[in-house]
Amino acid sequence: MAAEKNYYSIDPKGQLTCRKCKVPLVKGKAKFMYLDNGFPVEMPVCPQCGFIYVPEELALGKVLAVEKALEDK
Amino acid sequence: MKQQIRQIGETQSVCPVCLQTIEAVKSAEQDGIYLEKECPQHGRFRTLIWEGNEESYLSWDMENTAVETPVLAKRMTEECPKSCGLCEEHKRKGCCVLLEVTRRCNLNCPVCFASAGEKGSESSETAEADRCTSAAYGDGSGSVEEACGSCHEPTLEEIRQQYVYLMEHGGPFNIQLSGGEPTMRDDLTDIIRLGREIGFTFFQLNTNGLRLAKEPDYAVQLKEAGLSTVFLQFDGVTDDVYQALRGRPLLEQKMQAIDNCRKAGIGVCLVPVIAPGVNEEQIGSIIRFAMERMPFVRGVHFQPISYFGRCGQERPEKPITIPRILKDIEEQTNGKMKAADFAGGGAENPYCSFHAGYQIRPDGSTKLMAKKSGGCCCNTTSDDSRKFVEDRWKLNIQTSFTETVFSETSALDAFLQEIHQRTFTVSGMLFQDAYNLDLQRLKRCYILEMDPSFGMVPFCAYNLTDAEGKYLYRRI
Repeated sequence: MAAEKNYYSIDPKGQLTCRKCKVPLVKGKAKFMYLDNGFPVEMPVCPQCGFIYVPEELALGKVLAVEKALEDK
Repeated sequence: MKQQIRQIGETQSVCPVCLQTIEAVKSAEQDGIYLEKECPQHGRFRTLIWEGNEESYLSWDMENTAVETPVLAKRMTEECPKSCGLCEEHKRKGCCVLLEVTRRCNLNCPVCFASAGEKGSESSETAEADRCTSAAYGDGSGSVEEACGSCHEPTLEEIRQQYVYLMEHGGPFNIQLSGGEPTMRDDLTDIIRLGREIGFTFFQLNTNGLRLAKEPDYAVQLKEAGLSTVFLQFDGVTDDVYQALRGRPLLEQKMQAIDNCRKAGIGVCLVPVIAPGVNEEQIGSIIRFAMERMPFVRGVHFQPISYFGRCGQERPEKPITIPRILKDIEEQTNGKMKAADFAGGGAENPYCSFHAGYQIRPDGSTKLMAKKSGGCCCNTTSDDSRKFVEDRWKLNIQTSFTETVFSETSALDAFLQEIHQRTFTVSGMLFQDAYNLDLQRLKRCYILEMDPSFGMVPFCAYNLTDAEGKYLYRRI
């Protein structure tokens, strides 16, 4: 079985850590871009490598809804 | 000059006099497509089903490859449409289900598919309904025939049984609270809460709006109970229309009902019944009236008059067809909305409905949203449609994601809110009567009536009446 590729880990207290840099993720600015539209957001990011953690419920919720709305126009 | 007639398709229908299932053909003639059939006992019948040529008729169709079968389907015991409930021959599992919570009504419209409120005054009906609550109603305690079908009002327990039945047969569906006039029941909020507890998530109130107008807090109570949207009977922007179709002027009450829903935060869809010679000229005015009240008014859902039940209008030689109403929309909106913008239903039979979604810009101009049927959407299912209905008619957006100390996504929220508030939908549904009934269409129907003894029955089968006004399924 192929090893699962994880870019982050969650400790028992819910703290997210970048697996590559071994440093805690911090709140940072990011931008979702889709079909020439940009949406500035703040997400957990790695202060060293810039990895952005997008929670699954956000990706399959609001982000998917925005994509559908843009495709609909 | 000899008229060109060409047969372009075959189906089955019923005799409008005796409702026996008979063969039917579709023929292309100079002025449109006709459905023709012959009953061995009652002769030949012919009615217009499409205004336009063969190409326009066939191009409206979209091959739907999605396969669905009703959950726990019944065995077909008689020819369609006589063993509904749903049977194994039905091609859809269902999207919206009408729960008829009362037969009482505070109007006695000259036009009513359900022939509601025929027992006389409101108070006498109430008394009659009260007397019948102990009668059997398909709950195992006796036969349905023992109950007085014309006045019995299902108890909360009986409604709970109906909800459970629906869950077991493919639910959750979008629930339409219907009747009669559902707001005649004082426990409507309990009915909604009960449905939510059982697992239904979308509740639509089909109403004439009189109670919503009269009691300012009523919309708030319904909203708190979990009502999703109001489908408001709204036939026109002048009182002569209400006088003709509803028997009295009602415009002021309609406006008040809309305003009370706005204050309560409930989305409203205006539902005009369009009758030739009465309000066909008001189609554009109704759309403008609705657009001026966005985002609380979410759109307009036209229902050309159906010639079944209590119908005070004589069936014309040329009843309203989809091309005719789309032409009306285009002409009366001065081309802001075009006939070509519209598509037929995806999950149901395309010849049953039409719809288009628009984004309304701040300057009032319209931009067509992508068509939801045809092309890549040819495998639309009942579940897809259920979600689509919910998205379009509900006022608020809800997503499961909640902000945390690590995230802030208000830009996405703002965009979604703006898109939602600017979305305006124009749609319509053409119900079938005994003259134009096409059993191929009926077998893909996903608007179902919940009946305690038959189960789920397609709307157009449930309300089908013969030449004497006798229903195939509905008890009055």
